[in-house]
Amino acid sequence: MERAPVAVPDAHDERWLAHTWQVIPGVPRPPAMNIALDEVLTERVGAGLRPPTLRIWGWSAPCVVLGRFQSVRNEVNEDAATENGIAIVRRISGGGAMFIEPEGAITWSIHAPEAMVQGMSFPESYAFFDAWVVDALRALGIDAWYAPLNDITSANGKIGGAAQARRNHAVLHHTTMAYEMNTDLMTRVLRIGKEKLSDKGIRSADKRVGPLRQQTALPRDTIITHMLNQFRERYPAAGGEVSAEELEEAARRVRDRFSTDAWTHLLP
Amino acid sequence: MAGTAADGAARHGAHKTPGGKMVVVDFRVDDGVLRDVVVSGDFFLYPEEAIEPLTASLEGMPADRSADEMAQAVAAAIPAGAELLGSSPEAVAEAVRRALNPEPEEE
Repeated sequence: MERAPVAVPDAHDERWLAHTWQVIPGVPRPPAMNIALDEVLTERVGAGLRPPTLRIWGWSAPCVVLGRFQSVRNEVNEDAATENGIAIVRRISGGGAMFIEPEGAITWSIHAPEAMVQGMSFPESYAFFDAWVVDALRALGIDAWYAPLNDITSANGKIGGAAQARRNHAVLHHTTMAYEMNTDLMTRVLRIGKEKLSDKGIRSADKRVGPLRQQTALPRDTIITHMLNQFRERYPAAGGEVSAEELEEAARRVRDRFSTDAWTHLLP
Repeated sequence: MAGTAADGAARHGAHKTPGGKMVVVDFRVDDGVLRDVVVSGDFFLYPEEAIEPLTASLEGMPADRSADEMAQAVAAAIPAGAELLGSSPEAVAEAVRRALNPEPEEE
């Protein structure tokens, strides 16, 4: 397969080219299942049981995804979440809360051997894993760039954010981009304090983000297809899916951990 | 809330590192020391389990310790090789200071 020329000189494309990536398309899954799959697939990549993997997330329900270290009551209005049928889940990586509606966000995970980021600082590794996405957005005419530590941003506001966790010599790098935002519902469910805005100089949450729908007329699915095409043109890639064994293990962890109150309210 | 909260009352303080992440500290003060401390926020910490000793370093901390002393205790509790990204021991200590001395216009 012909590959596009390297667009970013410091993107370390040779580290991507050293693997044949398994690309798993989006399948709608419950929020806690997505969280569990992150952990299971990362561990399996670390153990050499699956190739490096790019997995697109699909959502079967709206939810708030809290970062590993966030407090539920400081971040979420639980009554408003319940009233609106919005689940609350906690992911295994740090970072900030995401308000997710199934068609409103584009989320993916990269499960990679830790050797891919050998010698890189954490901030370098964040930019490294999202460089191909920034290029894919720019190819769509969106003036996007990476803003350390973990943001994909644009002149029209923040588009998305990434987070990482490391397990068994493997890296989980996952990123969510806003496609279309229900700002009214989001601000009822998430608590966005003024301290969070204190160094931004702006008052309202919706002004801090620039969802893709405001920057392109393309449907969400078209953007995802474009991203995957760009990935496959740039790096060796094969199709893939979550195996029955992986699904079973993830379902077990949903039941034992990720759907439990003890995990969700790990920090009350 | 202005002035000093009664002993045992819930305290809450936050500090966002400019260009970085938010750290939030919730606790009570009993007999002059911090109790039921919860350190939370949208920072990154590797490995994640390092949150436990970090939080424990503030449990039982005398409330009249200086911010420098609190920051040193937090820094010493972060295990060798662990990495706190987007926040810092000084930011944690500042969140505690704000919880103990809330400014009148703050919540």
